[in-house]
Amino acid sequence: MALPNQQTVDYPSFKLVIVGDGGTGKTTFVKRHLTGEFEKKYEPTIGVEVHPLDFFTNCGKIRFYCWDTAGQEKFGGLRDGYYIHGQCAIIMFDVTARLTYKNVPTWHRDLCRVCENIPIVLCGNKVDVKNRQVKAKQVTFHRKKNLQYYEISAKSNYNFEKPFLYLARKLAGDTNLHFVESPALAPPEVQIDLAAQQQHEAELLAAASQPLPDDDDDQFE
Amino acid sequence: QHQWPPPSHHNDDDDHVPAEDEDTGAQVAPIVKLEEVAVSTGEEEEDPILDLKANLYRFDNEGNEWKERGGGNVKLLKHKVSGKVRLVMRQSKTLSRSAPIILEHSGNEKSCVWHASDFADGELKDELFCIRFPSVENCKAFMKTMQEVAESQGEEEENKDASAAAGLLKKLTVGEDKLEDKEPPEKATDTNVKGEQDV
Repeated sequence: MALPNQQTVDYPSFKLVIVGDGGTGKTTFVKRHLTGEFEKKYEPTIGVEVHPLDFFTNCGKIRFYCWDTAGQEKFGGLRDGYYIHGQCAIIMFDVTARLTYKNVPTWHRDLCRVCENIPIVLCGNKVDVKNRQVKAKQVTFHRKKNLQYYEISAKSNYNFEKPFLYLARKLAGDTNLHFVESPALAPPEVQIDLAAQQQHEAELLAAASQPLPDDDDDQFE
Repeated sequence: QHQWPPPSHHNDDDDHVPAEDEDTGAQVAPIVKLEEVAVSTGEEEEDPILDLKANLYRFDNEGNEWKERGGGNVKLLKHKVSGKVRLVMRQSKTLSRSAPIILEHSGNEKSCVWHASDFADGELKDELFCIRFPSVENCKAFMKTMQEVAESQGEEEENKDASAAAGLLKKLTVGEDKLEDKEPPEKATDTNVKGEQDV
């Protein structure tokens, strides 16, 4: 299903629009899925950045084109022009910043003006932080507007798969759809020579002297 | 004015917290029809010789820092015919792959922990990797298995740099001891933090 200005792939793909105030973690959330990295530094997104994100399900491969939009007004670019032909959406707020939840109705209104009757997930991000300002039971907007709500943490990966799984199930009309192992392709033969090995050893020494990401991030699941 | 603790009937508020995976979304018409397909993991011709939970890191030369690659189950898989071994890690929950490949003839067993060709995205890339386990025992099991793999694939003599690198690796291993003393991080839940007052 090709959309304007997007490459065609031979498996189902969907335009996913991600909106919400600046600093709520939209880009970090997408990046966590793409590369596994948790980006601590805040760099405001300018306009929009589109990232294809593939998942493997029991019904085959699917792709979300993640339209990660600017949350800060001054970097909004075409603003709601990015929503055109959106087939699903995520509205992100930050549970440690009350204002970002107060602004959710505005994001929802602007989104629904352009995209009618699409599945939308409301995400409360940063639930790993102890001193949250918006408590779970204070979040009620989703019930008024028929959105799904998930508490997530891009840092700890808590519930980080659920927005995508929910949207995939809605788009396919299949509540039993679930993620499966992506095929681990057989790699080509790898050759290594002595010069490369010596370089590897040198790189190894340099790398080993650098600390791993914060111990607080250390969770195993 | 709020009392503390709140009157018991306020506990009814907990009913407002969405039940696990309750669907509060609108009814929308599906836009694709998907049929169930047979799942091929790509591991059918391999035997798992190790399967442990771990976090995986990739060294970013540009930023001179380690970056998370993912967390989940790490498996060492031995091909039933060729006997070659590779490492496959799948991200917990999404089961996406983040799979480095063990180099053949990569020197000594300790270097294998650090260096691999990365085929996770379908093209070969040289990367430095570090793997971190929840316990020292698991780390030792991994290193022991890696050593056995390296020996069976033609270990070369250890050189001076490799010895130094092994020492640095041991430092990381010692770091794991400190992790064990830590209480597990507080899990994110839907309930209020104990003792926290509503404003």
